[in-house]
Amino acid sequence: MKQQSLPFRLLIWLGIAVLLVWSLGPIYWTLASAVTPTADFSDRPIHFVPTHVTLDHFARLLGINVSRIGGVQVWAQFRAALVNSVVASVAATIICVGISALGGYAFTRLVFPGRRWIFFAVVATLAVPGYAVLIPLYRLMSSLHLIDTFVCVTLIYVSAFLPLSLWLLRSVFESLPVSIEEAAQLDGAGRLYILFRIVMPLAAPGLTAAAILTFLGAWGQYAVPLIFSPTRTKPLTVLIPEFATKNFIDYGLITAAGSIAIIIPALVVIFLNRYLISGLLAGSAK
Amino acid sequence: MTAAAATIPGRKRGAGSNADALLGMLLVAPIVLVMAALVFFPLADTFWDSLHRVNPMQPGTPFIGLANYTNMLTDNEANTSWFNTFLYVVIAVSVETVVGIAGAALLNQVKVGRRWLLAAIILPWALPGVVNATIWLWIYQPGAGLLNGILVAFGLPFDNHVWFNDKTSAIIAVVVVHIWRMLPLTIVIVLAAMQSIPGELYEAARIDGANRLSMFGSITLPLVRSAIAIAMTNSTVAAFNFFDEAWVLAGSSLDTRPILVQIYLEAFQNLHFSYGMAMSLVVTLVSLAVSLVYVVRVYRNTRLE
Repeated sequence: MKQQSLPFRLLIWLGIAVLLVWSLGPIYWTLASAVTPTADFSDRPIHFVPTHVTLDHFARLLGINVSRIGGVQVWAQFRAALVNSVVASVAATIICVGISALGGYAFTRLVFPGRRWIFFAVVATLAVPGYAVLIPLYRLMSSLHLIDTFVCVTLIYVSAFLPLSLWLLRSVFESLPVSIEEAAQLDGAGRLYILFRIVMPLAAPGLTAAAILTFLGAWGQYAVPLIFSPTRTKPLTVLIPEFATKNFIDYGLITAAGSIAIIIPALVVIFLNRYLISGLLAGSAK
Repeated sequence: MTAAAATIPGRKRGAGSNADALLGMLLVAPIVLVMAALVFFPLADTFWDSLHRVNPMQPGTPFIGLANYTNMLTDNEANTSWFNTFLYVVIAVSVETVVGIAGAALLNQVKVGRRWLLAAIILPWALPGVVNATIWLWIYQPGAGLLNGILVAFGLPFDNHVWFNDKTSAIIAVVVVHIWRMLPLTIVIVLAAMQSIPGELYEAARIDGANRLSMFGSITLPLVRSAIAIAMTNSTVAAFNFFDEAWVLAGSSLDTRPILVQIYLEAFQNLHFSYGMAMSLVVTLVSLAVSLVYVVRVYRNTRLE
């Protein structure tokens, strides 16, 4: 490859440094604030690096040092919201990837009436903002008495992320060689055996990518649970802004809760980064 | 039609292809059910009800024709929200596109540790929008916030400056948070296109005496054009759908209120269901139309050349 001159390389690394500060600076500031004692928040000028470190905010959040704020125990609320977020996102991910894998295979390899236009109609909804259907969905769900249930939010997440997942998985199945399946068929293997024992394992990276995109999407949802999961199934995304907008404003608690909400997506990005990026690219290559 | 679809049923005629068709329909059934019940039926319902007066506080749902649509034109709050949304779209799409291309070009020059750099840069996109908004709310905080802290450290008079008191600075403060989340997507999409450009093209241009800037203009940009269109479509749809960050940062404040917050307030606070439906259909159509402009332009360009 070509040799880059030193000033040019310096310029590149300066640009990269600016990008990194822009991306990670706010996250650093959240983590730093989460370990700053409340008293230090009133110091002026502010400290860019915490001068004292405390785990007090986490202790309060996690109920180790039980505090009551606004007459409500924070830990009980926080734990419930964390569990709700995990349950709804995991359920939506499993169902969404499951049915789009079955359907994606059928759309690629099986011939049945309407397969082209059904696929087109489902994928076309990628262009429809979810908000266009929220009001009728609200009436539908309230007439079925499903408001504030996991069934309700999970199904809505599935319908929202299914088109992307289906699109991604169909392109994955299309890239697999047909010859393996034909060979298995000659050996007398049935369709379902081929699907579950041969195709699915080969498509595992694609399935992972679809699962990551669905999980992150569901984990980050706000408007849907704000309307459909107001109390019993309230997720973290609805609870955390409440810390910030209720009459008490406890920045230690907010940043500690924010740090915990960052952890799961951050782990996904760090460890599954390869699949995430391939999924993003397949999903965006419309 | 794919080759697979053409060969397999050809080889397995008769009972086999019937069985395949049946299996195909069975495998697709869950998707059809979910999408019909939760997307297509509600979408049709949205259109139908937008022509009626639907309000749980008022009896009956009389047909009112296009009244919901014509009322929008004289609704001052809706007009302000539309204006804000257009500001968000213009600012977010142009910043994300320009900075996104620059960022992708930078990363394209890096050869070591690009995977980790990309992980760090994509992180804001992976976080929930409301978590981003609370992070930035704390940065914008007048007293102990990072932004004023940095400005004061540079000797500027921003002690206790409130960013949400003035419409211009409030709009910028809100759109910055949105850009922080959406920029990584543009970078990733454009970077992938840059990496698929064969190195020989640059070699040939260098032999012809081209410098870096002219190579970027004559090789890189034209070849990543369709990726840029995809990224711009994503940015546009995301900016029209902007809700989470605006709601957490500034609530129902009219200064920063985007159209989706207006719809939320109309539908779920004022209970003007059908009016909200009419507005959400208009948002859908407008964002589709704007996206179509990029797609058609790129399609034409690639067709003619």
